[in-house]
Order: sequence, then C-alpha cells, then structure tokens
Amino acid sequence: MATDVIIPTDMWAEDDKTGSIVIWLYKDGAQVREGDIIAEVLVEKVTLELEAPTSGTLRIKVEPEVVVNKGDLVAVIE
Amino acid sequence: MSDRILTMSRAGREALDWEMERRPEIFCMGEDVFKFGGIFGTMDGFGAKYGPERVISTPISETGFIGMAVGAAMAGMHPVVDLAYIDFIGVCYNVLLNTASKTHYMSGGAVKVPMTLLIGTGGGYNNAAQHSQCLHATVAHIPGAKVVYPSNAYDAKGMLHTALRDENFVIFLTHKGTAGVGWMGTPIRTTLSEVPIEPYTVPFGKVRICRAGTDVTITGLGMSVHEALKAADALEKDGISAEVVDLRSLSPLDRDGILESVAKTGRLVVTDEDYLSFGVSGEVIATVVERDLSALRKPPIRVTTPDIPIPFSRPLEQAILPLAGRIAEAARRLMA
Amino acid sequence: MSELTDELRRGFWEVMTLSRAFDDAMIALYWEGKLPIFQFGAGPLPGELHCSNGAEPVGAGVCAALSPDDMITADHRPHHVAVARGVDLNRMAAELLGKKPGLSQGKGGHMHIYDPAVNFASSGIIAEGLGPAAGMALARRLQKRPGVAVAFIGEGAANQGAFHEVCNMVGLWKLPVIVVVQDNEWGVSTAKSESTAVERNADRASAYAMAGEWVGTNDPDDIYLAAVRAVARARAGEGGTILELKTARLTGHFMGDQQAYIPEQMKQVDPLPLYRAKLIRDGVMTAEEADAIEARAKERMARAMQFAKDAPYPDPREAFDHVFAGEAA
Repeated sequence: MATDVIIPTDMWAEDDKTGSIVIWLYKDGAQVREGDIIAEVLVEKVTLELEAPTSGTLRIKVEPEVVVNKGDLVAVIE
Repeated sequence: MSDRILTMSRAGREALDWEMERRPEIFCMGEDVFKFGGIFGTMDGFGAKYGPERVISTPISETGFIGMAVGAAMAGMHPVVDLAYIDFIGVCYNVLLNTASKTHYMSGGAVKVPMTLLIGTGGGYNNAAQHSQCLHATVAHIPGAKVVYPSNAYDAKGMLHTALRDENFVIFLTHKGTAGVGWMGTPIRTTLSEVPIEPYTVPFGKVRICRAGTDVTITGLGMSVHEALKAADALEKDGISAEVVDLRSLSPLDRDGILESVAKTGRLVVTDEDYLSFGVSGEVIATVVERDLSALRKPPIRVTTPDIPIPFSRPLEQAILPLAGRIAEAARRLMA
Repeated sequence: MSELTDELRRGFWEVMTLSRAFDDAMIALYWEGKLPIFQFGAGPLPGELHCSNGAEPVGAGVCAALSPDDMITADHRPHHVAVARGVDLNRMAAELLGKKPGLSQGKGGHMHIYDPAVNFASSGIIAEGLGPAAGMALARRLQKRPGVAVAFIGEGAANQGAFHEVCNMVGLWKLPVIVVVQDNEWGVSTAKSESTAVERNADRASAYAMAGEWVGTNDPDDIYLAAVRAVARARAGEGGTILELKTARLTGHFMGDQQAYIPEQMKQVDPLPLYRAKLIRDGVMTAEEADAIEARAKERMARAMQFAKDAPYPDPREAFDHVFAGEAA
C-alpha cells in the first residue's frame, strides 16, 4: 500500500505563496522511517522540513526547483 | 553508508548536536544564534533544545564575545562561536591574531584555548565588497590557529567532530554557497554527501582527491572545489583527464598530498576564490616548487579572484570569480 | 574578611615591598648591556620592560579581597598584580630573563605572565584582558562553580572598543566581573585629560548597568575596602563593577622613558613611604618592623633573581614547541 507524501496545508501560513523542494534528503528508493525529515522545502527565504508520513520505500515524484503548492503530491512511500 | 543525503549545514549541525549532548563544556555563542541558529543553521533548534545558557545570543560586539570565548576556553569550556561572515574579522581580528592563537604558545603550553570559530566565506551572490570576501589566507597566516575548510557534507560533519575534540583554536570555514542553506538556492550537487548517522572524524591536514585524473591537477578549496569539478567534467569531453584536489585544511596544509598529485600529472592549475596575491594560491605553488621543481612540466596557472574589491553588479562579479570556464581554459592552456 | 586588621595591613606592606623589590631588581638588571648604547634587545633582560613602581597599592589591595577561586587578567604592566596574587616569584623572574624554568619556558616575557596555579594571565595588548576575564566568569557560571574575574587595565584602555563591548555584556548578563581601571594619569605620553572625555571612568559604569567606584588615594587600605565591596556585589549576583583607582607610574611607560613630558605640577608621589609612615603612626608596626619586612622582601627577591640568573636558557629548537596543544613540535 502506498502513502502519498503531500505538502501539508499548514506548512506555511499564506495560501497564495508557493514553495520549492531544494533537496531530497534521501535517495529515490531509500528506506525511510515515519517522522524522518525527507526534504527541505524553501518558501521565500525560509527553509521548512518535510517529514515522512509513514515508513517504507521513498519514491520521489517531484524534483528540486519545481514550484510546489500546499496539497501537492511530491512523493509516495511504498 | 546510509541512503541519507545531507547538506553541509545539516551535517555540521549533527556533529555539533552529538558533541553538545554529551559534553557540558561545549556551548554556543554569537549574534542571533538562539533564535536563528547561526549563519548556516549549524545551531538550528539548539536554543529550544539547550536553552539560553548554552546557546547565547550576543550583542553586536565581536571583539567582546570572541574575547570572552577565549577566556571561557582558558577556564575549561569549549566555546563554539558563530562569526557569520569572514568580512567581519576586521572588528575582532586582534582577538584572533593576538589572543586565541597565541595564548598557548606564550604560556609555554601552560594554558589551552580549545574553541571553534565558525565563519562563512565567499561571494557569487551579489553582496558586494564587504560581504563576499574569502580572506582565508588572512586567517591561515596566523600561527597558532588551525584553519579548516570542508567543501562537502561528509567532511563538514567529520571535520566538525575533529574540531570539537581539538584542544586548540580552530577556525572552521564554510563557503556560503556550499552550505546548502535556503537563502543560497538549490544546494550544489557535489556538496551533498551520504552521511552516516553515527559520529566519525575526518583528520585535519589531509587533502581529499575528489576526482582522480592523469593529465592535470586542479587544487581548490571551498567553492572553488565545485567549480573545479565542473571544469573537470567539461575537460573530460575534450579528452583531458583532470584530478581535482580539495585542500580541505589550510593549517595544517597537506603539502605531501599536493605534491603527490602534481608528481602524477605534471601540470597544475590552482584555483582560489580568495585574492590572487600573497595567498593560498601562491602557497600551493611554492610548496610544489620548493619540494620538486621537476614535478612540473609547465609553469602552473592560478585562477583566482584578482586583487580588486568584489564588485556588486552580476556581470562584474561573474567576470572576476574563478568559475569553471576560466579553470577549464587554464587547464587547456597547460595541455596545449 | 572586610575588616582592616593589623595583620592585613602588615600584609599589604609585605606585598608592596616585595613587588617594589621585584621591579627595582629588574630595573637594575635591565641596564646591564644597554649602556652606553641603548638597544631593547641587549643585555640579560631584553625587550621592553614596563615596571609597576607606584602601582603596588593596587595589586596589594585588590588581590587581598579575592579568594583562590577568583581569576585575574592583567595587562602589559603586570608585576604588582602578579606578586600580590602569589604568582611563583622564581619562575616569574626566570621568565623575564627568558629562561627555561620561566613560567612560560621563555616564550612569554614580562608582558605575558601565565600562572594557572593561581588563575593568573596577562596580555600585552591594551584592553585585551577584558574579554577573557568576562569569559572566565561566564565559564564559572556555566560550570556552576564560584569565581569572580578581575581585569586589571589602565585608564588608557578604557578608551578601547573592547572596554565598551565587554562592559556592556557584563552589565547585560550581570557577570561577576570587576574591571579595575588603574589610572596612573598617562597612556605613554598622553595625559588622561588629553584622551578621555570624562574625568572618571567609574562614571561610565552607569552606561553599562555596572556599579562604579573611584578611589583617589593610592592607599591599599582604601583600595582593599572598595574591592571588598565590589567582590561582595559580584558574589551576591549583583553584577560587575568598574573600580577606578588613582595610582602612580613612577618609572615611566617603560624603561628608557625619561618622562620629560610630565610637568612639574603633575609629578607623582611614591605611595610606599606614605603607607609606611601611616602604619607606624597607626601603631600597626614599628619603624624597625617595617624595615625588617622590607629587608626580607629584598632578600626574597634576591633569591628569585639568583634562581633566574642561574637557570639555563631553553634549547633553540624549543621555539617550535607549544604552537599547538596535543602535538609534538
């Protein structure tokens, strides 16, 4: 069963702002544990941390430097 | 190895956190460290975790608080001080030059000054002449100060563990563009490393061969390592095999390691984002020439920032930085 | 502790005469090899020499108010403080002569006196002891150990940026730091009135939320009582004090300074005969006892000087030792 990794709607305050993943902290296909910080998301000058919602194998769907919005699917964990 | 990839910022923080958890003598001080976690986020979250006693935000008083760090070190602590930009050494240089670096010697070994000074260096992001300098030669010139300069996450963690276990004054430099902090864009790929979760040390005074090659040696440090690696990629397409040597540590400097590479390739391009004259680039060449003049088949070439203040405007700054294009061109000249 | 007992006052006389004996012996030796042609580097006591003659009451009075846990940084003129603190006299003398058994094995010289056994350090850079002193106090706070730090500086050093930066942090963080401003009226040839906007540096304390005290007598009794008050405030968690003490610099900025720039009306008074007379007048000691104490001090210093003269020089190869801790040269 795969779990979507979604940019949380409360990750930053303003709905109209967009962010971008600057780095995935695990390789595609790596084993991650629930709660691991798996990516850095940059919103303007502020770096935010994206946590793994569950444990499993990380499948990256969105590469760094692509614009992301709240609610966007950026990876799945299998 | 883990599958975990870290930025230099995160890797350094992991080392400092591990040491601070176990050693009450370590404490942090500097401007804005409590709320902002230091220039590279090395102390990010430490304010909440360790409290204001061990993560001390200071007034804008570099002479004062770095002087205090020396006294605290003399009294048995190991301060970790964040000086943000190396351009600011002007307002505290006396402490570095005359106190932190000389107390052990002037006391005939009776007094130790174990402290780690974290400083960001370098430009390339249009911050002009007072916030873009490297100046690593200016601190490496001080006897009694160790000066190290990791350029990737693995070394950042290992060398910070080493610094925190050293009994001396260690100046720990990080080029702003390599750290992987939010305000400098997407991290440079070659700064990222697979970083073990467990602690480890990387010794000072050993070069790292980032890329093996046979035709030309390119030495670099900090950001210029990554420009050299880009140049090496370009050179490979021309059939030129470049060896990229990361100096990593200026004091001590691995002179044998430099010569070993040059003896193999016979050609030397020295890259350095610091000013051209009286600096590391001249020191690298002197090291080779003094030890074995016959190692060089051609006169070496320096690719550095020229002896001018760093200009603000993007086309002006880009024109003077030691970027990959200039480095590759120098290597091609040596191969011609 | 805070009462001026006869024993304490005799102790001041002992310390002041020993400090004077130290400096007088060094001054006598200093000229060996430097006459008729003066050269700093010549003779058995080479380099610059900044003597403390006239400032002995400062060292005696302040150090008597301190305990062994407390920490001291001194400046380029450290002898009177070092002697009063109980820095090893033989090894300090040997250090001045650049000898191997010196406190720093000949690597420091007279401006750089370090004796960790009594928490004493000095620096030759003006105002450079302030930051380290505050840092030592901070260290003790973090270590949850007692200890007051005292930085001895001159009135000229109060115009350095470090003074402002460090005093501000001492006040901000209520650190147990006493800044002893030794006002000998002169920064080399520049009079305090020519360099300092305020008459008293102690008045600057209000800018840093520190206490300020001024003692104008160059008398160890008064200095001691003021220091006791400052130490009590520091130990009680009430923070730091700028303690300005008017004192004297009888032998110039350094040896060879003819002090021709000092006008007649500013000629300074030697505090030692005054204090001697005071103790005799107060019945603390007789003239004979005073002389005997002074003679013992000179005799003690003679032994230290003999130790220093007899001691070997370091091997030239030792120049490469102690650049870094934990490493062979």
